[in-house]
Amino acid sequence: MGFSDPTKDKAIEEQLVKDLQAGEMRSFEQLANLYQKKIYSLSFNLTRNATDSQDVTQEVLLILFRKGHTFQGKSAFSSWVYRITLNASYMKLRSRKREPSVSIDDLLPSFNKAGFQQEKIQDWSESTESLLFDNETREVIQKAVDLLPDKEKVVFILRDVEGLSTEKVGNILELTIPAVKSRLHRARLFLRKKLANYFGEYKTRKESK
Amino acid sequence: MICCKECIELLHDYLDGELNPEIEASLEEHFADCPPCIAFVNTYKSTTRLCKDTLKSNDIPDAVKSRLKEFVDKNKNT
Repeated sequence: MGFSDPTKDKAIEEQLVKDLQAGEMRSFEQLANLYQKKIYSLSFNLTRNATDSQDVTQEVLLILFRKGHTFQGKSAFSSWVYRITLNASYMKLRSRKREPSVSIDDLLPSFNKAGFQQEKIQDWSESTESLLFDNETREVIQKAVDLLPDKEKVVFILRDVEGLSTEKVGNILELTIPAVKSRLHRARLFLRKKLANYFGEYKTRKESK
Repeated sequence: MICCKECIELLHDYLDGELNPEIEASLEEHFADCPPCIAFVNTYKSTTRLCKDTLKSNDIPDAVKSRLKEFVDKNKNT
């Protein structure tokens, strides 16, 4: 199936969902093909474990297969799939010993009484290109995201990584638009600070050579 | 004049183009005079881009892909 025209793709997907609701199982395979990468990717970003993500993907596909006909269409089909994926991923995480989460407030920017920035801010935005595909950089970025508290992490992954709209994220997580925006902003501030420690140091090292 | 703290609080809406023009103009006036905030904005934007580029490429490993295919085939035939 081609994915060149978003309106056409949406219409095809809507038809597949209708078929699934009507118990037409041929549409299951096509929907599974459409969604398995999204399910796997979201689950992997939450669990950071290939086996868990495979299990989650299978569980979600099984729910689509067995319960697809009960989908009522009150919200978008994709929102339903994302919600099931999140629940299945959290079940996996619950059974695992987890790193203690970090307080996000400790890493938010600090200001003086007049509201001006207190820290020295380095601009490392230009020096990241060559490092992007470096394994160490990938690891630093993944670890920083893993350290985010769950509430902020899920918003960040859905909105900034998966590229869903603020409205859609609000719909999936049953949050208001201001709540989505506030969590996303806190997540970005936290990650910026974490990456600043890494890229800022790299830039200083490079400049002192 | 608007301070750094207010600018950073409004950054999300500023980058999404959702501020009213008057507030947007005061932010830009502040940025013109505040190199630390410019550095902050640039690195805030880079953070989003870097994380997206790193995390978006979670391709399903081939072995997992074929297990999923087996799984789908098994179910569609039941």
